[in-house]
Order: sequence, then C-alpha cells, then structure tokens
Amino acid sequence: MRPRRGPVRVVIGEDQALMREGLALLLERDGFEIAALANDADALVRAAGLHHPDLVVADIRMPPNEADDGLRAALEIRRSAPGVALLVLSQHVLPRYATELMDAGAERLGYLLKQRVADVETFCSDVRRICAGGVVLDPEVVSAMLARVRRDDPVERLTPRQREVLALMAEGRSNQAIAKQLFLTEKAVAKHVSHVYHELGLLPCPDDHRRVLAVVSFLTSESAAASSAATPM
Amino acid sequence: MTGTLSDVSRSAAGRRPTRLGARSPTLAVLFLAACVLALGAVEIALLFSGPVDPPWQVVLFPVVGWVYLAAGVTAWLRRPSNRMGPLMVVGALAWIGAGLANTPVQSLHTVGLVVASLPLAVVIHLLLAFPSGRLRGTLSRATVVATYFVGLVLQAPRYLYDPEEAGNLLFVADRSDLADVGHWVQHGVGAIVIVITALILARRLRDVAPQQRYVLAPLYVYSIAAVLWVPASSDLEALALWDPLTRATIQLLVLAGIPVAFAAVISLGGFARTGEIDELGAWLGADEHARPELRDALADTLGDPSLELAFWDGPSAAYVDAAGNTVALPPSGSSRAAVEVSVGRRRVGAIVYDETLIADPELVRRAGRVVAAALDRERLTAELRASRERLRISRARVVAAADTERRRIAHDLHDTLQTRLVLLAVEAHGLRSDGSVPDGAAAELEAGIETAINELRELVHGLLPAVLAERGLYAAVEDLVDRMPLPIALELDSQRAPLPPPVESTGYFVVSEALTNAVKHAHAHELGLRIQRMNGELTIEVKDDGIGGASAGTGSGLRGMAERVEALDGHLSVRSPPGGGTCVLAEVPCGS
Repeated sequence: MRPRRGPVRVVIGEDQALMREGLALLLERDGFEIAALANDADALVRAAGLHHPDLVVADIRMPPNEADDGLRAALEIRRSAPGVALLVLSQHVLPRYATELMDAGAERLGYLLKQRVADVETFCSDVRRICAGGVVLDPEVVSAMLARVRRDDPVERLTPRQREVLALMAEGRSNQAIAKQLFLTEKAVAKHVSHVYHELGLLPCPDDHRRVLAVVSFLTSESAAASSAATPM
Repeated sequence: MTGTLSDVSRSAAGRRPTRLGARSPTLAVLFLAACVLALGAVEIALLFSGPVDPPWQVVLFPVVGWVYLAAGVTAWLRRPSNRMGPLMVVGALAWIGAGLANTPVQSLHTVGLVVASLPLAVVIHLLLAFPSGRLRGTLSRATVVATYFVGLVLQAPRYLYDPEEAGNLLFVADRSDLADVGHWVQHGVGAIVIVITALILARRLRDVAPQQRYVLAPLYVYSIAAVLWVPASSDLEALALWDPLTRATIQLLVLAGIPVAFAAVISLGGFARTGEIDELGAWLGADEHARPELRDALADTLGDPSLELAFWDGPSAAYVDAAGNTVALPPSGSSRAAVEVSVGRRRVGAIVYDETLIADPELVRRAGRVVAAALDRERLTAELRASRERLRISRARVVAAADTERRRIAHDLHDTLQTRLVLLAVEAHGLRSDGSVPDGAAAELEAGIETAINELRELVHGLLPAVLAERGLYAAVEDLVDRMPLPIALELDSQRAPLPPPVESTGYFVVSEALTNAVKHAHAHELGLRIQRMNGELTIEVKDDGIGGASAGTGSGLRGMAERVEALDGHLSVRSPPGGGTCVLAEVPCGS
C-alpha cells in the first residue's frame, strides 16, 4: 500500500445508478473519498487514469458489451497502475475470474458478491483490508474453488476442520476472526493453520495477508492444474 | 418473389442443354455412314472389274444399301435412343454384302452367297422392332431369331450343293437334290416366319389408335408383301410376269422402298410421336440418379431448349417453379404457350414452350401425359423441400426467439430485481444496526432477503449462465466440467474463436444435457467431451463408459437436444448400444 495521508480515494464503476450511488454513500460514510463515478467500463478506465485513486471498485458486467467489461477494465487499470487496490463486485462469482485477478497480482485485491454490501460493517472492513494490501475472496468463490479440487490433491488430505480453517483463511480472516467464528481458541486455530501449512508444504509466515496470498495462489494454481490434468481419459 | 416464365426460360435457354444420351453420337454415326458409303462404292467398282460386264441391274444392290443407309442415318441422328436407325444401317450392310455375290472375286462372291437372304431377314426384324427399334415380347424375339436362322443357316444348301453356284469356295458337291430340298425347306420355314410376323403386326394394328392405324397398316402391308413376293416369285411361275432381269429390278426397287417408307413415317405423324414418347419412356426407365433432369429430358425430346416446367401449387392455387416461387403462365398472343399436365383429373403442372419451335400442342400434351407422374413427383419433392425449409426456418426462429427472451429476462432480472434486493438488504441491515426494530425480526428479514438474492441468482444462472454470457461457450463448458462429480477428459478447440450466440446457447445446452444424462442415468465412471470447430461446423462429442441404451426417442432430453440442433440446420446422432456406453454427437453449422 502506498504510504499516503488523508482519506482513501475511490473511483467506482457501476452501471446501475441506484447501486452506484448506494456504494458511494456507504463508502463515504465510512470515511472514504469518492474521486469519481463511472457508469461504463471505458469511463472507468478514463476516470482511473485521470484521478489516480487508491481503490477502484468495479462491477463486472457493465456496458459497452454487457459482458465482463468491468473485470477487463479493472485488470487494465491494474496493469497501468500496479499499486492501485481493486475490488471487483458481481452478482455471480466465478472461480476463473478470481484466478485471473490473482494472476494480475495477488495483493490489494477483493472479489465479492454484490450482496455482501448489505453487511455494511463487514464490507467496509473488507474494503479496508484490501486497501491495506490483503486479498479478500467471497466465501462462494472459495467454496467453489475448494469444490474444484480434484483427487491427488493435498487439500484432499486435510481434515474437515482444517479445510474450514483454510477456507476462512482464503476469505482473508485473521486467526482471531477464525477462532471467533468456529468457536475455537486462537491457539487451536494457530495449530490448525500450521497443520494446513504442513500438509500443503508451505512455510509459515508471520504476515497476515501473505499467508492468504500463499493459500489462494496455491488453490488457484492447483485448481487450474486440476482441470487440465483431467484431460486425458 | 414473382417472375414470369419468360424470364425463367431465358435463363434456362442460356444453360447448356443436356443431351439425352450420355454423349453425342453424331460424329461416330457420320463416320460409320462414310465407311458404308465407301464400301458400296468399292463394290460397284468391283462389279465392273471382271472381263465381262454384268447387266447394269447389279448396281442396284449397293444402291439399295445406300438408300437404307440414308434412311438409317437420318433416323439415328434424329432419335439417338431409338434403335431403328442402327438397324437400318445394318440393313445397308446386308444389301452391300448380298451384292458381293455379283462380283467376279471368288471369295467375295462366296460371302455374297452366304448373306444373300440377309436383307429380307433384316426387313422382318425392322418390322417387328418398329417403332422403337427394340423387340417387345418373347414371340417377337423368337420370330426374329428364326428369321436370321432361315436367312443364314437354311441358306447353306444353296452354296454347298447347288450346281449353279459351283464357282464358290464353299461348294462341296454337285447334289442338286439336296439343294432343292434345302431351297424348299428355306422357303417353307421362311413363309411360316412371315405369316407369324404378319399375325403379330395385325395384332399390333388392332391395339393402336385409329390415327396411327392409317399410317401403320399400309407400311406393314407393303413390307410384308414385298418380303413375300421376292421368294414367292421364283417359286410360282404365275407371279413371274416379267423376264428375270426386269423382275429382279422391280423387286429391288420395291425392297428399297421399305426404308423410304419407314423414313416417311418418321417424318410424318405416327413414328415421330411414338419415337418421342419412346425416348421419354426410356428416360422414365433410366436410373434416377444417372438420368438428366425432367425439364432437360423434355426440352431435348421436344426440341425446345427454352422449355420450362411449372408446378401447380394447390394451396396457393398458382403455378410455382422448382424453388417454390410463384410464376405466371405466358399470356396468349406471346410466342410462348403452355400445356397443362394432369394426373387423373388433378392438375399437377404445366409445360411452357416456344410456339415457334413446337407448332403442334398435341405433341407437348402427349409428352406431358407420359411424364405426368414424374412431374407430379417432382412437384411433391419441391413442395416437400419448401415446406421442410419453412419448418426449419420457423423452428430456428422459435429457438432464436426463446433464446433472446431468456437473455432479456436474465438481463432484466440481473439489472433491476437483483440490485433492488441488494439495496433492500442494505436497508434491512441498517434497521438492525440502528435498533429501531427488534433484533431477531431484523435478522430474519435480512436472512430472508439474502435467500431471495441467492434464489434469484440461481434462477438467472438457469436462464443464462453468467460465464456463457460473459465468456462464451468454451469457458462455460470448462466451468460446467469443473462442477461435474466425475472426471471428464476435456478437449476444446484450440482457437476458441467466438461463436454466434444461438450456436453458443445450443452448444451449451447440448453439453449440459449430455453431461447431466451421463452422470444421472448412465452409471458412467469416466466421461469424454470434445468440442471442435472445423470447416464452418462446430462438432460436440460427449462420450461415457456407462450402461448405454439411450435413444433420442425415449429420453426427452435427447429429443430436445436434437430439436435445438436441427433448428440450426445441424445434426444430432446418438450411439448408445446396451452396455457399450453412450456417444452423443452434435454437428452445428457456425459460419466460417
């Protein structure tokens, strides 16, 4: 994250006026500064180039093509300004989009269902975690990715509890948050986490977001490998 | 689209006319004619090469041969599929051959003696083969065989034993007794053959239309009389009114009249028509895939390259062309005319022709009667083709409309309802936070809205998967495969070029149905999925190693798949032997 004073400056790309204004209002209330609003992908890229925001929030399906224009715009913005934080919102989550986003740099990144906006507090804290350099993936994406994991995969060797912990790690939760959610002690969570690392062959690191990053890259690359490994019959 | 037939016929006239025969025989026939002509000339030269000139009448043999030749070549060229022409050319050769008996060269003289009676046999053959040149019925064929037997085999005693012919190479002994017996046997059997021929012809005369009878009867009577008179005149002294030379001259001239009479009948009414009808009959009998189009056959037979066919379309009560476009018959007063064709009392079409080329509408009408059934069938084929095309187009339209509608509904739900629900959820959460509503009720409301959002998301996914709308078929198929509980060998087109939306929807539908069937019903362990685009066609193949036994008739899923694929002019085949796994193969045109 860029060392910078003052409020986080945001550009929002969303073609639905109500949603766009709603998002702006939520973030503004939470102390973000709205630099610009864009109602299509091209305008979003232009606004990002013009305002140099700290964070770009983009809806995936937007004009002009009503396809994945928002995602493409976000990736384009990230290419020209690698330090910008990205939050990609959508009404559907697709593991492939998570993978593509990760490939563009698995930090300062969020990919959430739009409906997560409803829980305003969690949403705003997710946004802050993204701006702080973290990766936040929607639980739906994580579970879809875990479901994709095939046989011969180390993830298969994890106990159900360990997988639960892994999923929450992938969602960007801290050990403390995981402990709270799973009604465990933090110590127990730390133990599960180190088991997960061990099983997946990862070295533990102290940094909170780095471990998510590691886990997520592991998941995405494995699932990508799994789908291609399924080719010969 | 409405055109007039004269427009159509112009383009038809520009087309290279297809000949009825596989190749034009003209050159070969003319070459053959030249050869026979030369042969006759050589013979004449030979006749007068001896020390003593024979009477001039011997020239009549090759000359009569030339008459046969001229008549035969004319008929052959005019009616290539009629065998009367070739038969008359054979007659020409027989005459020239018989004439060799008068040459001073011993070997040729012998040949001439052997074939001396052949010209008469050929006349019988011509009579029985008239008008098509082909023999009809076992009796006719047997009679012709007997004729040649009489002409060639029963001729033998004459050159073997007759002392008058002692100069020939085949002469065995001076046995005038045997020669006499042979002579009487030949003439007796010959008379029987001629009587049988006369009876066959009489029976035929009885069966033809009166108009034809007037033409055929004199021809038959004349020919029979001529053939009878030649041998009889040498047997019955009473018939020998003239001295032998005069008699021979008259006989030869009478026999020369036979091909001329045939040629006359060709150029007059009966034979021409019968020949044409015969040609059409030959066309009808030909292998359907090898024969030319009906229109070309008619144009060729009637000699009007601009001839056109119009089919009667009952429902629209109008004439249409083969492509189903409405056409108008030519107005009276134009140079084109039309003759209606009916099967029974049902109108099936019309033949439109050029009046300056075909003056007699009766000729066209007769041809129309012969090909009426074929025309009717062609009309039905055109009708069927047109209605099948209409059906396909309307089915494609229905599928496309349903597709568009699904996309629109998915889009609308996505844009409006989902956004509204999300904003409602935000508000419900706000209620809980500010404590204006009991906590439990607010949480319940929030959870309810979230459920609604999730259900709506599923609904939209069912209508049109987001990945299909956003990333196309290949990505959508990859994601689908990812979610399947069985391992799937996936082979996708390496180009992954974008496809037309209807093809994407249909392709996705096929893949998803086929995979679902395999997982649910086939008890498969492994699946294979291949999608390939080649030569403007998208091929989708889904294979499993399950129990098989699926068929398009039983499973409504397969039926639906086939319908969607066919609506895009594609083809779906299912191979599913019991116990042998299932293979679903869909081929859909998708542009280049």
